Amino acid sequence: MRIKDLAFPAIVMTLVLGACGGSEPPPPPAPTGPTQAETDAARADSIARVQAEEARQMEAERREEERLSAARDEARSTLEDMVHFDYDESAITAEAEQILRRKIPILRSSPTVRLRLEGHADERGSTEYNLALGSRRAESISEFLSGFGIAADRLMTTSFGEERPLVNSTDETSWAQNRRVEFSITGGEVVVSEEDGSQQ
Amino acid sequence: MKLLLSKPKGIKVLLIITMYGCFQGTSSVIAQTQDSIPGVTLGLLYESEFYPALAVHSFSGGTEASGLAREIETIIANDLRYSDRFEVMDSIPRGLVGDGIDYELWDQLGAVWLLSGSVQRQTDASGGFILNLELHDIVYGAIHEQGRFLLPSAEDADFRMAVHVASDQLIQWIYGELGMATSRIAFSRRSEDGNQELYTIDSDGENFRQITSYGDLTMSPTWSPNGEKIAYTSRKGTGLPRIYELDMATREERVLPSERNGDYITPVYNPNGREIAFSVTGGNRSGIFRYNWLRNCCLVHVSGGRWDDLSPTYSPDGKFMAFNSNRLGTPYPQIFVMPAIGGEADLVSPYIHGREGYYTSPDWAPSGDYLAFHGRVSRRGRYQILVAQISESGQRLRQLTREGNNEDPSWAPDARHLVFVGTRDWGTGLMVVDTASGKIRMLLRGFDVRVPEWSPSLRESLGVGSLPARQ
Repeated sequence: MRIKDLAFPAIVMTLVLGACGGSEPPPPPAPTGPTQAETDAARADSIARVQAEEARQMEAERREEERLSAARDEARSTLEDMVHFDYDESAITAEAEQILRRKIPILRSSPTVRLRLEGHADERGSTEYNLALGSRRAESISEFLSGFGIAADRLMTTSFGEERPLVNSTDETSWAQNRRVEFSITGGEVVVSEEDGSQQ
Repeated sequence: MKLLLSKPKGIKVLLIITMYGCFQGTSSVIAQTQDSIPGVTLGLLYESEFYPALAVHSFSGGTEASGLAREIETIIANDLRYSDRFEVMDSIPRGLVGDGIDYELWDQLGAVWLLSGSVQRQTDASGGFILNLELHDIVYGAIHEQGRFLLPSAEDADFRMAVHVASDQLIQWIYGELGMATSRIAFSRRSEDGNQELYTIDSDGENFRQITSYGDLTMSPTWSPNGEKIAYTSRKGTGLPRIYELDMATREERVLPSERNGDYITPVYNPNGREIAFSVTGGNRSGIFRYNWLRNCCLVHVSGGRWDDLSPTYSPDGKFMAFNSNRLGTPYPQIFVMPAIGGEADLVSPYIHGREGYYTSPDWAPSGDYLAFHGRVSRRGRYQILVAQISESGQRLRQLTREGNNEDPSWAPDARHLVFVGTRDWGTGLMVVDTASGKIRMLLRGFDVRVPEWSPSLRESLGVGSLPARQ
């Protein structure tokens, strides 16, 4: 079930409840019935019950919205998880493949989402050649995702070469972090699929 | 070793590869040298030569231009030093050598050439000056050449450039060769925020100027053949690297239309000035393309495919193009030469199967006979500047730097000097190497600079009033 489907019954429910609480008809005059005080008390009880129910419902909605929002955030962050590469390589490592595979169900359940794949290189290598290396890395990710049926026109590649390092120091650990492809969501709506999100 | 060489008609494209074949068997000692490529000679392009002593007789400026005369004299003396063609003698006060030219005295002082000059205000209202130069041949005891040079007012942005015209004329008089004083170097510089903007600096290290302020990554500048425009790649606006052209005088800018996906990088002008070649990476098809600026038309595919062909550079006659490519299937790019319209490519960088080096960023000398590039010559992963001769005679590859890390060489208009990005213990900067003497000069120290490109001679593109007028 998608977010929009979940939201619809909740809205209907709110409207129904709202109608009950807002336009309660005045009680008919009944001389043999309860006293005016009793009637007032009963009415107050009823109003309280309705208000409590409204509050409970709103809280449930709020929690559901929070849960969905968290699931969307998680899905977004999964889509944006960057992958790293070996030195001078654009081949996808086993570790990178795991990260990429987690993106696939989200991309499938969010057909409007478009991604920008931004390739980066470490500072070794020539300035201009590293632009091409970053490009190759982004292309290799694009090809991998396309292989899983993600339309290539949803994936745009570009390269920053060595010009936008994550870490500014000259050691293997920093270089390894800088050899990467970053993902940025450039459009569309992230939709959390039933199987992918946590159970309702 | 299999070579792709097919000799194109009309040009002598050498193949250094054959040389490597020979050297492999015979010079195992060279092959063992730690900081050089097997078979590559360390050192200079030419035999060391005699550098004649040149003295400067203090320029006179009368009462109204004496300060300016001294300034002009200093500019010219420095230009002559930077030309690496003379032993420029320290200046001697007029009080010691007299106002007149005493050839015998200068001969005793060891001078071979003597330069004297005077500066006077132009008679019109332009605020400009006239510089008179006399070049004396001390050995023959006679004036060798003399000339008049029009200078704009000292406040004019082109004032120093106009003086550099005189310096280049002196090189022309003495050696019959082109100088490089009337030129600038364009490059990108990384700022604190990680962006890169374009800057220029004059050949003598003066006039450090910022050219762009786009707040994005802008790099790989290239000069139009007349020096009036630069083209470059920038991510500005669209967030995608695209090729732009900027008129340096009018500040008018235009963008090369993008007809396809992918990053547009490493532009270079065809020497005909009409076309620009560049690389496209990513997208549907990568490779080198060319585009006609004048007709605003037609992206033409030149080379490339499933590999990256990058950083093209034209031979001065526009018939050939050098570039680097990973087309051999290893992660180590090599330098190739092919016809400028595309076709079979010949390998230029030294290639030893299993011991491939990493060679990129070729730049074709304006004289046509040399290619400069940089390559990884040791296991430490550092790069050095290399120069390959592109001719049938005297096939040679020379390594010009040995210290630190050195990248992205670009030829000066004199076809003798190269500017490159040098990194030493103190940081990064622009350096100039004289390929004849091996002498290295610091041009700009301590800035995080990238991919410098030396302009052609800017003499023709200077404003009215700065052209030399011979008497």
